[in-house]
Amino acid sequence: MNRSLLRRLPSLLWLWLLWILLWSTPSPLVVLGGLLVAVAVLAVSRFPGVSPQITVRPLRLLGLCARTAGDLVVSATAVGWAALRHGPRVRAAIVELPLTADSDLLVTLATLLVNVSPGSLVLEIDRHRGVLYVHVLLVVASGEAEDARRRLLENERRLVAALGRDQDAPSASGPPGPSEPPGPSEPPGPSEPPGPSGPSGSSGPSPTSRKDDS
Amino acid sequence: MSAVLDVVSAVLLIAGAVFCLLASVGVLRFPDAVGRQHAAAKAQTLGLLLILLGAALQNAPRYAAPLALVALFQLLTIPVTGQIVGRTAYRTSALAGKSLTEDALARRLPPEERLPPEERRPDADGG
Repeated sequence: MNRSLLRRLPSLLWLWLLWILLWSTPSPLVVLGGLLVAVAVLAVSRFPGVSPQITVRPLRLLGLCARTAGDLVVSATAVGWAALRHGPRVRAAIVELPLTADSDLLVTLATLLVNVSPGSLVLEIDRHRGVLYVHVLLVVASGEAEDARRRLLENERRLVAALGRDQDAPSASGPPGPSEPPGPSEPPGPSEPPGPSGPSGSSGPSPTSRKDDS
Repeated sequence: MSAVLDVVSAVLLIAGAVFCLLASVGVLRFPDAVGRQHAAAKAQTLGLLLILLGAALQNAPRYAAPLALVALFQLLTIPVTGQIVGRTAYRTSALAGKSLTEDALARRLPPEERLPPEERRPDADGG
């Protein structure tokens, strides 16, 4: 009881802060009202508690953020140029990206990171095997699918180095091989039927999460 | 000082508008749904961020917080939309197959397990 309250405290504080920021005037009414709204929201909705799955290393995180912002600029420019220059003749590839990250939060962040990287978009998350399937615009990413793949993998290693727990970080040097044969009869991952609940179920904290015992 | 701020603001706003324009050109011209998502998720996000930044410079600092919230939620939600649209597009065979030089996902999700493409509207290829 006491522990579950403690675990929801960050959510409460965040919702409270969000309310105050939205009103942008910290008058007593807004502050008090915000607290009431935050408590009411948390009482009505039962979000699953996000267990601490990450270790923040501020310097590396800062570096990653700067790099990501730069990537977004490159990415937007390149995609815009491709739209003008190539348009309907643009070429693309779908590549496999084996992840080192093995917690729901890190996989979600890795997906986010891939999506702001130049010319790449996650099509499918195979949480069970820890593989992302990424759609790459080749005119953006130097023409070769393998180049794009290597660059994305490097970014993901950086993410794990910045936020991974201590037992995750050292394994960053040895990525799991992508060469494992794909079993067509495997039930989890991409072979689940398309539905409104499917995509979100494969990224967020969900029943498909595995061995996240800390 | 305020003149400098005005110029910086103007540059940011115009650059933002240009990126939004490029994004819409991409949405019009790319061959399939996923290509269009690239344009919407990248160029449009950057365009919005630049416009927000330009607007923040012109207003009192206390208005910066709501603008920062807009930026935060944009960055958090756009990739999610992109992924869901991409996933759905792949599973309904809505990708322009001839533009793909390599398809690693086909091994896990062969064409016969996807929805056939005939449910698409005939004008979906754009023009």
